[in-house]
Parts: sequence; structure tokens; C-alpha cells
Amino acid sequence: MAGLRFNVMHFMPYVHLPENHKDYKTTWVNFPNKFYDAEKGHELYQQYFEQLILADRLGFDAVVLNEHHNTVYSMMATPNVVAASLIPQIQRARICVWGVPPNFMMPNRLAEEYAIMDVMSKGRLEIAFPLGTGMEYWSNPVNPVTAREKFRESLKIMLQAWTADGPTKHSGQFYTYRFLNPWPRPYQKPHPPCYIVGSGSPETIDIAAELGLGYSSVFVPQKTAQDLNQRLRDRAAHYGHTIRPEQLPLLNFVYVAETEEEAEREYITHLQRFFEDYARSSPQWLAPPGYLSVEQLKIRSAGADKMHGGFDFKAISNSFFIAVGTPEKVANLIGEWTQRMGTNHINSVMHVADMPHWKAVKNMTLFAEQVIPRLRASGGVQ
Amino acid sequence: MSKFVREELTINGVKTVVHTAGKGEPLVLFHGAGTVDGFEFAAAWADKFRVIVPYHPGFGESGDDPTITDIHDYVLHYLDLFDALKVDTMNLVGFSMGGYLAAKFAIEHGHRIKNLVLVAPYGLNVPEHPTADIIAIPGEEIVPMLVSNFETLKPSLPEKPDADFIGARYREATSFARLFWEHPTDPKFPRYLHRVTMPTLIVWGDEDKLIPVQQAPVWRKFIPNAEVMVVKGAGHIVHRDKPETVEAIARFLA
Repeated sequence: MAGLRFNVMHFMPYVHLPENHKDYKTTWVNFPNKFYDAEKGHELYQQYFEQLILADRLGFDAVVLNEHHNTVYSMMATPNVVAASLIPQIQRARICVWGVPPNFMMPNRLAEEYAIMDVMSKGRLEIAFPLGTGMEYWSNPVNPVTAREKFRESLKIMLQAWTADGPTKHSGQFYTYRFLNPWPRPYQKPHPPCYIVGSGSPETIDIAAELGLGYSSVFVPQKTAQDLNQRLRDRAAHYGHTIRPEQLPLLNFVYVAETEEEAEREYITHLQRFFEDYARSSPQWLAPPGYLSVEQLKIRSAGADKMHGGFDFKAISNSFFIAVGTPEKVANLIGEWTQRMGTNHINSVMHVADMPHWKAVKNMTLFAEQVIPRLRASGGVQ
Repeated sequence: MSKFVREELTINGVKTVVHTAGKGEPLVLFHGAGTVDGFEFAAAWADKFRVIVPYHPGFGESGDDPTITDIHDYVLHYLDLFDALKVDTMNLVGFSMGGYLAAKFAIEHGHRIKNLVLVAPYGLNVPEHPTADIIAIPGEEIVPMLVSNFETLKPSLPEKPDADFIGARYREATSFARLFWEHPTDPKFPRYLHRVTMPTLIVWGDEDKLIPVQQAPVWRKFIPNAEVMVVKGAGHIVHRDKPETVEAIARFLA
């Protein structure tokens, strides 16, 4: 029986939205950065670091960071800077950068940064490769039309940099390396655990399947996520790989309190603001030209995006992986999800939107003390 | 009933659809980055010319070719297509992005072009009168910007855009972005425009909301044998707002 694994994922949002923020159609890409106050940003980093260090002390298995640009949703435009500063402060838990879109970095340099952190942390680094949301392509000077080809080439270069003794060569559509020979090399052999994260494009899943990497779908409904996990297993088998339960991190939103009423009272407004304000994007931002295939664009434009704007707590909790309530209820829900999704890897967002520090601390503490033991006792996926 | 006859060719492995009408000297029309407005207006030229309207790869009825990554690839595509159509010399009319392509073609293969017409051509970097950032304008906002009087465009639009319409526009936006996302204009382009020596007509609507009419004199400055026709009250799709533009172009070509 594989053991269950529990992560705390943090977006590190900038929570001091201006009063008139609803006048803006989105809080991404072109939401004016004059609204960013560095003094307040500093206080927020302090709080968020405290929360992640606490997660380590409470016994969570990993902390998870990721990258977004031009938005209040996240203050981690370069998550490797944040991850590196956490390494000496987080003694035990694994540190997951899930992750830097390789298209926005030179692949050798990204391979080097990850290797440095893996060595510094004595092999506690984990990595995910996102294509990057549509919003990131509006914010970075990279053509979304060729994003998938470039992404695939970048991954190949990084894996080659880690697995083949250098110097090696690479000659591709986007990059030429005469001497691919990065120092240092990763602590974990052949390289840290790698995943691909995405919102379910078949093209992206196929890359994970071909390379035998893990996959985590984000912001897709439960049923879709289940189908995507199965699709990955099937496609990976086609390429001769077997996907293990721990390679399928299950992104979920969790809030625990003594009673269900208390949990809902303390949590729902923050979750609502997360969807309505922090994740407020637009069809145009979500799908720059060429970012999706025409077929995917048609599918997504037909089913208007539930995640970005519009809020109905009951509907959203039934559709996505959201557990709000007593430790028992939350443990039962997560236990059920792990069985259904065939995973033992629980990746929980425990702070959302403008949630105050005390709620995040309370949430993580109750989860660590009363949810994790229940789930560990029940065992994981067979 | 359309005068045009549809022909489907395979050029370098890519389905290329060409509509032709009439007899006489060839008159080739290069469409712009969106094909929603159609080309029926060009039927008026079929009385005097063999009108040839190809769909560029990645647009309209033609297939996709992801290996076409810059405007020059389209120039080379047209060398092959004109060989296949047995077209040697021609009159060339280019609209918007098709105007940029026509000018590029004329720079390199000027001896094949008898007369050139550039209608609100894309591609010149004029910092004082910049082209709108077409890629960054949401689809639902850009459509009304195409003309001065939106009523003139409505017959070509669905009442409510369905998934197929949205998908078709996304595909054409993708083909446009493949060329222009990273470099909306080519700073080296103007230095070669002196090679466009054939009689050239630059047509522009004075109410163009995408590419300002103030760019017209800049084109004329670079092209030695050019005249400018400003159409009052017309937007970007000049002939939609002012159909008499079609006849004016015919007079220039005659």
C-alpha cells in the first residue's frame, strides 16, 4: 500500500485590491500595477512564509509554489526565488516548484536553477512543467502559437541536461546548444520527480505520457479530472510507461473548522473572492491566438469557463475538489476522491484570496492534527 | 449566383482554394487577416479581368501550414501557386495584411506586376500614427472597428456568433499571430520599398480605426510611382463603407 502524501499549495496573492477593482473586467494581464503597494507586499510575504514554514512543522509532506505574471492572484512571478529562500527555513518537507513555464526561460538555465535547489535542499525538490496559462503569454514576449512545440523542445533539453553526461549537443527548432553541460547536476538521480500541470489539453497530456511524467490537472471539474487521469494512464501505457498513484497530484481546496457552519462562515467569502476577483480573467486572456487548437477553443467557448468569474458555492463544491467542514467530513471527501482518482497525492490549497493569517494557521493546524491522521489510518489507494 | 468558380489545388502539400471569375489580364486579390467580409465585391472586376482570389494558407477555405512562419513564406507560396495557375504577369490588389504581402511580393518580383493596389495596407511601422494592436483587441470589439458604418458589415456576420464562427476567427487570428505576435512590423521593410516601381494606387478610408489614414503619405514617400486615394467616410474595409471604391480601383487598373 502506498502511503498518502499531503502538500500545502500557496498562491501568495496580493490581497489589497483597490475599492474600485470591480470596474476592471479582469485582475490579470492589464490590471494596473500602480495598485501594488510594496510595504503591504512585504507584510504578505512575511505571513505567507510563516504559513509555509508552519506547514513543515505541522508535518505536511511538501509545500507547493507556482508562477503567474501581471496579477493579484500571485506574488510569485519567479517562484524559484521564493523556493530558494524557503530551503534553509523548511527543514523536512519537500519543496515543489509547480512550476516555472519553461517557455519563459532558457532551458539550460532553468535546469541549472532546479539542480542548484535540489542540491541545496539535499534532494527535496520537485518540479512541474506548466505550459503557462494564456494570461502568461499576454504578459511575456513568447508566441503562444508555437508554445506547445517550444515547450516540448524545452522539456527534452532539460531532461537531456539532467540525464546525459555532458557536454552534449542539441539542435532544434527553437534552441541550439553546442555545449549542454550544466553544473551543478541534480542531487536526486536521475532528476527530481517531474510532473506536467495543465487544464486538460490532450496535446499536453500526451507529452507527459510520452515522457513518463506525472500529471496534475488544475481547475477542471471532477469528472473531467478523473477522465484525464485515465487518459494519462492509457496514453502512458501506449508509450511503455506505468503511471504510479503518487504521479497524479490531486489539486483541491480545503477548509476545516470545528463545525460545518463555522467552516462555511469562515471560508466561503474568501473562496468566492478567489473565483470572482483573484481568478477574474476573460476569454481573450485565457486563449490567446494559437494557444489552443481550434477544436479545444470551440469546446471551451461552448462550455463557458466556470472557474473564472461567477460563484455558486454549492455548485462549485460539487463540481470541483473543494472540501469545507469538520475534520471528519473533509477526511471522508478526500478519502473518496483519492479512491476515485486513483491517487495518494493530496495537494491542498489552504489559504485563498484575502483569508487572514489566523484562518490559514487554524486551517492547516486542524488539517494536520485531525484530518491527516484519519486519512493515514484508513490507508491510501491500493 | 456567384460568378466565381472554386478550384482546389495542392501547393507544397497544403490545400489551397482559389476562386476565379472572368477573362482577360489576371487580377489577383490578396485578402486580409480576416475573411469574414468575403470577396463578392471583386466580381465587378470580372468584366474586364480574369479575377483570381486565392485563400492564403491558414485562412478561409485553404488548409493550414504551420511551417509558414513569416510573410516571406507566403511570397514563396504564391510563386508556386502562380506557377500552378500559369499566371505570369498580373495586376495585384492587396487588402490590409494582403496589402503588406502584395508589397513584399512586389519588392521581390516587381517585373511580374503591371499595376499594384494597396488598400489600407498593414505592416509599416509609423510611430506617430501607429496601427492598432490588432492581436490585443478582443474579437467582439474588433469586428465593429472594421468599418465606419457597422450596418454595412452586418449582412456578412451571424446574428449570434456560434462555435464554428468563433473557431474560424480564432484560426485566422492564430495564422496572423504566427507571423506577427513577436514582431508586428518589420523595421527593415521600408528600406526595400523603393523596388516597388510599377504604377501603384494606395487606397485608404479616412475613418479607418485599425490602420490610420495618416500612414498613406508614408507609403507614398517610400514608393516612387504611387498615388493616394483617400475615401471619405470609409473605415478599414473601404469598399464595404463605400462600394464605389471597387469601380475606382478598376479605373486605375484600366
